[in-house]
Amino acid sequence: MNQTLTINISGIVFHIEVDAYETLKSYLNKIKSNFNNSEERDEIMQDIESRIAELFNEVISDGNQVIISLDVEKMIAIMGEPEQYITEEEEEPIHSKAQHTRKDKKLFRNPDERILGGVSSGLAAYIGLDTVWIRLFFVAAFFMGFGVLTYIILWMVMPEAKTASDKLKMKGEPINIQNIGKTFEEEAQKVNEKIKNMDTEKFSVKIGNIIENIVTAIGSVLTTIFNVLGKVIGITFLIVGTFLLVTLIATLFGSTAIISITNEGIFSIASYDLFNLFFNSEDEFYLASFGLLLTIGVPIVSIIYLAIKILFKIKSHYSVPITLIVLFVIGLSLSSLVGIKVAKEFATDEHLIKTEHIESSSSILVLKSSNTEMPGEGIVEDEITSISLDEELLYLQFVKLTIKKSESDSLLLKTKFSSHGSNYKEALKNAQTINYSYDMLDSTLQLNNFFSTLKENKIRGQHVKLTLYIPLYQVVYLDKSLKELIYDVDNVTNTYDKKMLDKKWVMLEKGLTCLDCENVKGISNFQLDSLKNYTSINDSLTTN
Amino acid sequence: MNIENTKAQMRKGVLEYCILSILNNGEAYPSEIIDQLKAGKLIVVEGTLYPLLTRLKNAALLSYRWEESTSGPPRKYYQLTEKGEKFLIELASTWNDLVKAVELTRKSKN
Repeated sequence: MNQTLTINISGIVFHIEVDAYETLKSYLNKIKSNFNNSEERDEIMQDIESRIAELFNEVISDGNQVIISLDVEKMIAIMGEPEQYITEEEEEPIHSKAQHTRKDKKLFRNPDERILGGVSSGLAAYIGLDTVWIRLFFVAAFFMGFGVLTYIILWMVMPEAKTASDKLKMKGEPINIQNIGKTFEEEAQKVNEKIKNMDTEKFSVKIGNIIENIVTAIGSVLTTIFNVLGKVIGITFLIVGTFLLVTLIATLFGSTAIISITNEGIFSIASYDLFNLFFNSEDEFYLASFGLLLTIGVPIVSIIYLAIKILFKIKSHYSVPITLIVLFVIGLSLSSLVGIKVAKEFATDEHLIKTEHIESSSSILVLKSSNTEMPGEGIVEDEITSISLDEELLYLQFVKLTIKKSESDSLLLKTKFSSHGSNYKEALKNAQTINYSYDMLDSTLQLNNFFSTLKENKIRGQHVKLTLYIPLYQVVYLDKSLKELIYDVDNVTNTYDKKMLDKKWVMLEKGLTCLDCENVKGISNFQLDSLKNYTSINDSLTTN
Repeated sequence: MNIENTKAQMRKGVLEYCILSILNNGEAYPSEIIDQLKAGKLIVVEGTLYPLLTRLKNAALLSYRWEESTSGPPRKYYQLTEKGEKFLIELASTWNDLVKAVELTRKSKN
């Protein structure tokens, strides 16, 4: 008694014993493997199976319902052994077998045919030229300078054709049983020859071996370094990227300050509050923040993403870069839109001017600035807070002082309040709401170095410009505290503003002249002395 | 050299010509073609035929039609195409030349 399988050949059902089935299956597979062209193969196999079904049908009867091994063997005898099937394409000899398209070939080094590394023969096999031409090319390249480097690079990059299938791929020949068999034969032959030639092994082959080992070693070292470097870069990107991202989010949406350490000292901005002062509404602010987040954040995220890819070798989906780009564009548009809106708020500027007389109790006017802390909470601070705010008011430190010659005999302080706004009315209103004060006490004019305005007016480029008009022969002493205030003061010696401080200056015909500088240009000693006398008579104060 | 090999090579070369000639007499299905070829001892095993028939068909020298059979799966009935007929005529003339040449060579030896 035996086990039976049920199969169908060409649509006809047969019962077949297990061992007969095995024989049949292996027979059919062998025939199949002889064919390369899959279209032809399928059709031919169909015809063959159809014929086999016919033959089996003649054997089957009521008394004999199962195909047994003997039947299969008889069938094989009729049909023929797999080797007897014609498989070679009769038409092929017309085309040269060596001309395979590049697509079928892979670039390998040929270790069987080499002087140094088999680079030339590998290239030759791939391109389809004779090895001699490639070698000549390298010799020429060597004399032209790029040969050595090119050869070494190719040596390191081209893999060696180790297995039989590699060698077939190198030559572009199809991988089937025949060809592989051929390859084995060729290899066996070569081994034979090598054994014969062992004593007389060419010197160049020996050198080639040594060089090959060295190059391989260098190659693997470089590869390792490259890998490590890649990882290092990846980690750096990851750390820096994450840090930047966190900072960005905190800055835009939190109340933390950006602290920047520059040559001039520590500089901090509470960006959330600062941004709020530009935008007219909360919505604008959030939109802008979001837009900025995307615009700056997307590049940062890309760096992080790249880093992760390098480190963990994750395959990326094509949708990722697309999403990033889309987000970036959205962010950019948002930021631009809001930016334009804000810019409109600065469309025009207006100013108003207030002029006041100053009475000094002595002939030397002392100019000072109050260096007290600005009120409220500072949101932009460098050495001196420039912007601060409290509940209702905004304090800005944008005050400038210049000194000019007065047309009359009196001291005049002209205050110019300027601001931007979305239109004339707005700008003027913004200018009007600037509140600036100073103190005149005895002979000291104490100027505030900041002004205040209503917080709801927002930052609109408000500033205050003070012009002090002093008459001829008036002496002023410029205190050091005016450092931030003083701006572009014309003087006879063209002394830089900050260098004018802590000195006495007198207004003469030609302009402000220094009284206690070392070399006093512009006035004659006689005039200088008389001036000094003049001032000392009227002056009982000691200079500060 | 194996004489069986050489014999097989000689037969192989002529096989196409013979198949086309057989079909020139009328359409046939593979088993009929095989029987005729076996009668002339041109084919020893049937397997040789099928790949060849398919190739000739793919080269548009033959065409076929299906016919249902009572004793098994449907069969292909092959016939010559016009191209096949032209091919056959050319092969025939080549064959004649070949025969003459061979005869000449044999005679000149004596």
